[in-house]
Amino acid sequence: MTTVASASLNTGQHNGPNGLPVVEMEHLKKSFGSNYVLRDLSLVVKKGENVVILGQSGTGKSVLIKSIVGLVDLDEGKLVILGQNTAELTDTELLDLRKKIGFLFQSGALYDSMTVRENLEFPLRRQVHSIPKEEMDALVAEALGNVGLADAIEMKPSELSGGMRKRLGLARTLILKPEIMLYDEPTTGLDPITSREISNLILEVQQKYDTSSIIITHDIECAELTANRIIVMKDGTCAAEGSYAELTNSPDAWIRSFFE
Amino acid sequence: MDTIVLQPPKKDLGTAITQEEFLEVPADSMFRRFFLEVTSLTLFTLRFFRELLKPPYEFNELMKQSYLIGYKSLPLVGITAFIMGLVLTIESRPTLANFGAESWLPAMVAISIIREMGPAITALIFAGKVGSGIGAELASMNVTEQIDAMQVSGTNPFKYLVVTRVLAATLMLPLLVIFSDAIGMMGSFVGVNLKGTTTAHLFWSQVFQTLQFADLIPAFIKTFFFGFAVGIIGSYKGFYSNKGTEGVGKAANSAVVFASLMVFIIDMVAVQITSLFQN
Repeated sequence: MTTVASASLNTGQHNGPNGLPVVEMEHLKKSFGSNYVLRDLSLVVKKGENVVILGQSGTGKSVLIKSIVGLVDLDEGKLVILGQNTAELTDTELLDLRKKIGFLFQSGALYDSMTVRENLEFPLRRQVHSIPKEEMDALVAEALGNVGLADAIEMKPSELSGGMRKRLGLARTLILKPEIMLYDEPTTGLDPITSREISNLILEVQQKYDTSSIIITHDIECAELTANRIIVMKDGTCAAEGSYAELTNSPDAWIRSFFE
Repeated sequence: MDTIVLQPPKKDLGTAITQEEFLEVPADSMFRRFFLEVTSLTLFTLRFFRELLKPPYEFNELMKQSYLIGYKSLPLVGITAFIMGLVLTIESRPTLANFGAESWLPAMVAISIIREMGPAITALIFAGKVGSGIGAELASMNVTEQIDAMQVSGTNPFKYLVVTRVLAATLMLPLLVIFSDAIGMMGSFVGVNLKGTTTAHLFWSQVFQTLQFADLIPAFIKTFFFGFAVGIIGSYKGFYSNKGTEGVGKAANSAVVFASLMVFIIDMVAVQITSLFQN
């Protein structure tokens, strides 16, 4: 099975390590004016599972993950994260929920005016108000060590290479130990070796922190390395889902074309 | 048909004022476009006051922005004010001399600087430096998704970025104007002494004998509004800039243009109100 209707995506055929749903999307719809970006999209992500989303540009992939963290408001549909229906949450509850979600932006979205250390301390200071300095230093050192950037602690983001910026973005996200990770094109603009490093880091994060991840990418090698399950999006809906092996052998030539 | 897209205020935690998302408007009506811009700016301003009153308060960031906006503007404001006082004095001397009123030079320059030129010129310099700086910085943060990253990390970017900058601009400009007035008068003292000799005691005596509270207070009060206008317009243009590097330039440019225009409009209104009370 490769091409499936969107509503049948939560059938549990590709359960994660323990099968508990952490993100449940039902019939999501979103349009910008007359441009319909998401059209009745449903998807379930299980605990500990890496779901890769592929698709052509403009098919709503980024809008989908931005809706999970509230950067985009949905027009219709139900979004349940870690058992909480986001539409029913108060602002404070939403804030608490966001603390459990990490988002790696395509550009890294590092704060230019801050050093590497300050970039990492910023989310800590905002979320954990009375954290002792020693504990903060230890968390920063651990986060930088995880991504191999311990030596860059006093540098500014402008002094870092593209790969280092991505790794720093990942470290900043991981410092709050999120339960869900959202990656927006994590390997875009990187050379093949650095892309592989980032893909391996994504796997390490999954294994070390038992995170569930949604990874948007155009990098097929990244998809192959990181995915427990792959979703192919087309025109705001899920056109196909399956493992890497299943999709590469799909009878649908359009689906196969992504992997050629 | 071309369309303009009005960016809605970003959906923040605790935001009460929101616009319809991505309101598309035909660009054929300048009138309509103008009112949409005004409406959007008004909503942005109302949101500022709501966020301003709501805890938590970003004191550290406010202090940092006050330092950057106020202290870092001192050299530029000081140099400009000194030249303003000097030039005004040199240019006014021949005209006053024609009427045999050269001895009124310190008094005339003092009233000109304190009542109008100090606040207006400092505000325009402030709009150029701080307004464009805020616009470009926030637009750049918008383009590079830093504002989104801040929101995702549980920080209210409007409160952290906009409220602190607008408040710092509102509080710092009056202080800069006081500084500018003082430096401007020193420039005037130098100008007076370029031809002839006037002691500092005589110069300052003339200045303070002429000035009244009615000259100082309205001029001081309006600088708060100038500062607020520069801060809010710079923030608005930056926060809702178009994506892409072109958006950064446009945001900085339009922040300066609109903030400068707003300074003149506020000045005109302030002068009218002041004259009503003085009459």
